[in-house]
Amino acid sequence: MRLLTKTTLNLLSISLFIYLFGIIAFYYTLRIQVDSNVNKEMDKRKYSIIRQMEEAHSSVAHPPNRNEMVMVTPVENDWLKDQYMDTLIYNKEEQRYQLYRQLGFHEKVNNQNYYIQIFKSLDETDSLIIRIIATMTVLIILLIIALLVVNRYSSRLVWGAFYDTVDKINHYDLNTHEDFSLQESDVREFEDLNRGLKAMTERIKNDYLNLKEYTENASHEIQTPLAIINSKLELLLQSGEMSEKQYKALADAYEASIRLSKYNSTLILLAKIENKQFPESKKVSPEAILEQLLENLDDLIRTKKIEVIRKIMPHVTLRMNPYLAEILIVNLVKNAVRHNVKGGKLIIELDPGMLKISNSGPETALDDNLLFKRFFKSSASPESLGLGLAIVQKICALYGFEVSYQFFDGLHCMRVRFDNKLERV
Amino acid sequence: MKILIIEDEVKLSEAIVEYLDGEGHLCEVAYNYEDSVEKIELYPYDCLVVDINLPDGSGLDLIRLVKKKSITGGIIVVSARNSLDNRIEGLEIGADHYLTKPFHLAELNAHLKSIHRRISFNGSNELVLNEIKLIPDEHRAFVHDQELVLTKKEYELLLFFISNKNKVITKAGLAEHLWGDHMDSADSYDFIYTHIKNLRRELLKKGCRDYIRTIYGLGYKFDVI
Repeated sequence: MRLLTKTTLNLLSISLFIYLFGIIAFYYTLRIQVDSNVNKEMDKRKYSIIRQMEEAHSSVAHPPNRNEMVMVTPVENDWLKDQYMDTLIYNKEEQRYQLYRQLGFHEKVNNQNYYIQIFKSLDETDSLIIRIIATMTVLIILLIIALLVVNRYSSRLVWGAFYDTVDKINHYDLNTHEDFSLQESDVREFEDLNRGLKAMTERIKNDYLNLKEYTENASHEIQTPLAIINSKLELLLQSGEMSEKQYKALADAYEASIRLSKYNSTLILLAKIENKQFPESKKVSPEAILEQLLENLDDLIRTKKIEVIRKIMPHVTLRMNPYLAEILIVNLVKNAVRHNVKGGKLIIELDPGMLKISNSGPETALDDNLLFKRFFKSSASPESLGLGLAIVQKICALYGFEVSYQFFDGLHCMRVRFDNKLERV
Repeated sequence: MKILIIEDEVKLSEAIVEYLDGEGHLCEVAYNYEDSVEKIELYPYDCLVVDINLPDGSGLDLIRLVKKKSITGGIIVVSARNSLDNRIEGLEIGADHYLTKPFHLAELNAHLKSIHRRISFNGSNELVLNEIKLIPDEHRAFVHDQELVLTKKEYELLLFFISNKNKVITKAGLAEHLWGDHMDSADSYDFIYTHIKNLRRELLKKGCRDYIRTIYGLGYKFDVI
């Protein structure tokens, strides 16, 4: 929830709460005020009625207006205190009950006890109260709306710098070498935040550049001597006839140095993925990569007599680095082919949500805790580097894909779930 | 073909020159940016082998310089940096190939040969070696003017052999040429064996001499001497 929405909601709920209680309290205050006014009027009437009755000898006093009624009843019993109360009286003309204020009192006129009730209609005052409250409601609603609008508008102005900062942080990419410049704000808190952020990005950027430089230097420094070793060994091979023993020693040295350089470049690749040094991202078609790869691995597949079953949905695209997409798919498929058995199966399933590659192989499940570790090797192929799945996992982590291993029905199955997260990368 | 090898690592440079020796090329070497600029300004070269990381400059700048002079020769970039950016940039500004260190000398040689064919025959080329004739543009191969029935990989294998005739080619070098980085070398050796078996059978069937020699445990040699 946005801060503005949250504060607005808080403001709204609190003001509605206050308003509700306020209006109830207001109503009762008005009511009490009106009642006491009416009571006073009725007190005045009481004396005028008593006077009238004394003069007219118990004749019934006529109400001076239609809002007032007087009832005089001769009674036997005793003196009682004056009583004020509300009462409902049925109005025949309007066919509804109407609210009246009533004053009941006893009076002795010419030795006869009378119980006299004065009724005063509250209809007019009531509708007045309702009108006042309605007007207030409208006023308060208008006030709240005005407040919200002003709040929203001024928040935009005040928080503009903040949202700009957030936006810049979201889109900041160390690899673009862009300067991290933030919009200035006249709010001190935001200025503090921006200053802190600038210092932090600067630090991170320096660390990152150092690290990047280090990986690149390491790669360069190691690859060059390796290049010399390889080329000298290759030259040595051309130097003429050698004994079988010499060739064998040379062949082993050559193999080892090639493996070393593969390790090196693979480890550098892992570091680069970890450092997110593959910023470029575009639509890639896993289908195209798969087709190309299967063609490339055709020899291997045919030699092993592997049955390839394709359940590839057409037009599936991913938004990611094309180079990494290729590495990801190549590693998975290559493993599935390499660890396959003669006459085994290779099932490739692709839909917009996932890529699943299953293959026959040894009849025991692999330990999926160790599977993604670096240098984990199955005993069957000691020549492999043991880095393929570590790379797969790193790439998946980078893009928020979920990779999992299952052993089911004699098939080893690697599944990569593409999330909707990938659009954000 | 006149080739300038720009590589700051003297020993690597020596190895390249020695490997190319006897291929009919005239190789010159430069170990830094400044010397390279001087040499490029003074002499016309058919081909440049450029290392990107030079002690006093960038090989990419050298490529730009050469391209500005609109020399038609080929350029092969050699770099320890296997970063995609560099590769793309190198190819964009006019390099023909990009090799990542460490590379196989046979691979470099094959690329040089293809550049050589391009500049000397203006593309419409034929590659003739005794009774074997290759038309690289069409991916076709003939022995005594009979067309060979070869798969794509077998054809590539033959072209690679002919480009590196009389050299010992390691299995690892062959594997990388045929499959790139996609296959670990250990996996692919069996297929190399199969492909070579098929290629040899096809060549012999069309009456070609048996040029392919197996070097124990190491690789092969296309022996035409």
